[in-house]
Amino acid sequence: MKINPIYWQEARVSSRSFRLPFIVFLCDTILALAALLNMYSMVTQAKATAEIQYASFLNLYVLVACIEFVMILLIVPALTSGSISGERERQTLNLLLTTRMTPADIVVGKLMASLSTMILLIVSSFPVLALVFIYGGVTVKDIVLLLLTFVSTAVLSGSVGICCSSMFKKSTIATVVSYCVMAALVLGTVAAAKVAAASGPSFWGWLLLVNPAVPFGAAMGKQMGSARRLSVFETWAGSSFQRLTVGDWLWLSLVVQLLLAGICLYTAISQVNPRRRRRWKY
Amino acid sequence: MLKVEGLKKMYGRMAALDGLCMNIKEGALYGFVGPNGAGKTTTIKILTGLLLPDEGSVVVDGIDAMKDTGKVTEKIGYVPDFFGVYDNLKVWEYMELFSACGGLYGLNARKRSRDLLEQVGLGEKTEYYVDGLSRGMKQRLCLARALIHNPPILVMDEPTSGLDPGTRYEFKEILKDLREQGKTVVISSHILSELSEVCTDIGIVEQGKMVVEGSIDDILNQINVRSPLLITVCRNKEQALNLLRAHPYVETITIRQNDIMVGFTGEQEDEAMLLKQLIEAGVLVGGFVRERGNLESVFLQIINHEEGMVLISEN
Repeated sequence: MKINPIYWQEARVSSRSFRLPFIVFLCDTILALAALLNMYSMVTQAKATAEIQYASFLNLYVLVACIEFVMILLIVPALTSGSISGERERQTLNLLLTTRMTPADIVVGKLMASLSTMILLIVSSFPVLALVFIYGGVTVKDIVLLLLTFVSTAVLSGSVGICCSSMFKKSTIATVVSYCVMAALVLGTVAAAKVAAASGPSFWGWLLLVNPAVPFGAAMGKQMGSARRLSVFETWAGSSFQRLTVGDWLWLSLVVQLLLAGICLYTAISQVNPRRRRRWKY
Repeated sequence: MLKVEGLKKMYGRMAALDGLCMNIKEGALYGFVGPNGAGKTTTIKILTGLLLPDEGSVVVDGIDAMKDTGKVTEKIGYVPDFFGVYDNLKVWEYMELFSACGGLYGLNARKRSRDLLEQVGLGEKTEYYVDGLSRGMKQRLCLARALIHNPPILVMDEPTSGLDPGTRYEFKEILKDLREQGKTVVISSHILSELSEVCTDIGIVEQGKMVVEGSIDDILNQINVRSPLLITVCRNKEQALNLLRAHPYVETITIRQNDIMVGFTGEQEDEAMLLKQLIEAGVLVGGFVRERGNLESVFLQIINHEEGMVLISEN
């Protein structure tokens, strides 16, 4: 099997650099500390009150999952926003474009490289997540669903990062814009939908479909048996939306977000293509 | 091998290329010369598929570059005016990356990389990190990278800029080797003396137009005819000057100590007659030679818009 050369090169360089093990160490340390402190507090509480609250162990699972989700949102744009602009800064993009590599090969190779780093982070966090299995309450199916939302979020934020990287010449600007876009997707859509919902259900509620925090919240809600918070979002979007989603917001949202990621990648590919007619420059 | 016709490219309101035409023969070592901003890099970017022209056509080995970019990239190796190297890769890894990008994998890729690194004198440096290489070595690595997919045409944009004389000499030798291998090489450079030593053909571009193109020998021959006569006078300088002022083929006279530079429009026979007249007039002539024209003088005359230049030769 022929591996994408860009992915291969990125994987080789990142496995050699200090950055990757440092990121893995840092993320897993944060997760482990949060989980262990939480467990310690539960055990201390159990000793003091002589009763074990099993719901607390589920809270541990939610805590670890939330921390991991936030880390994905913060790390992936940083990994991808310098991918194309970095090639431009090193002046290697033009060299790649004079080979058989198509702009799509280059963009996909870059995305694969950042996703593989992210998958490494997610997999390395499994032992921490598995702590919850000691006490039960979470099934393997739940974990798979959670991972699915993680992967979807990583693909979306990675695609946004690559898109910004292809549009801006400097990595710094691309990184700042990537974070702004992700903030707009996660916080901006909620704010816009909430403001619009003050005067009744509106179209703005539909914007929540592109919010990666919503499918994550939906997955967690399903697993915790508390879908009430999600139904608030559905109320904002109106009854027609509720009928459309029929309680399957999670899947619809994942599809919409993957489509959005596709649009971002398409934009990045067309930006990298040297033979397109440029209408604007940054 | 490479034919460019009516190439036009605008950057905003500024015309970088204004109907540029170019014809490069197979196996030629073509020097592409012009002042800064003349449109050399823009032309090279269009040839390599990195830029789309507003008008015009580029045909590479019978393939229309505007329609079939993929096939054209296989025909052209590109060495830019910057190094374009990944510092955190080893030399062999860098070569392996670009061989994979060119569709060459496994043993074939390794063998090709090894051969090319040997050819450019980096055979001993395969395990070095690219950032540990000197400027000259990086440039040679770039050359090896451009040749990895064995293209028949090599396009080089200012490849020797910033290199020391020793490395430039080595580079020149590599270019000669490539020519012997039958490669067509297009090289843009400001170091004209080097181009005149290695190039077979030359094109001078100014303000986006090709002003002179042809075989370097033809161009230099025509320049030589127009170069001044340099007469070194040891005795009776006044006598010599009187004779020259009265001569029908003498256009200009410039005196530099014992040397007299004469703008002389006559043929070789007329030159011999002038020498005879000087000697018969009692002038002690220490030297009598027509200054050899070189690429620099051609270039300077072109960019200074000297009138009366006719340098076009048949291909």
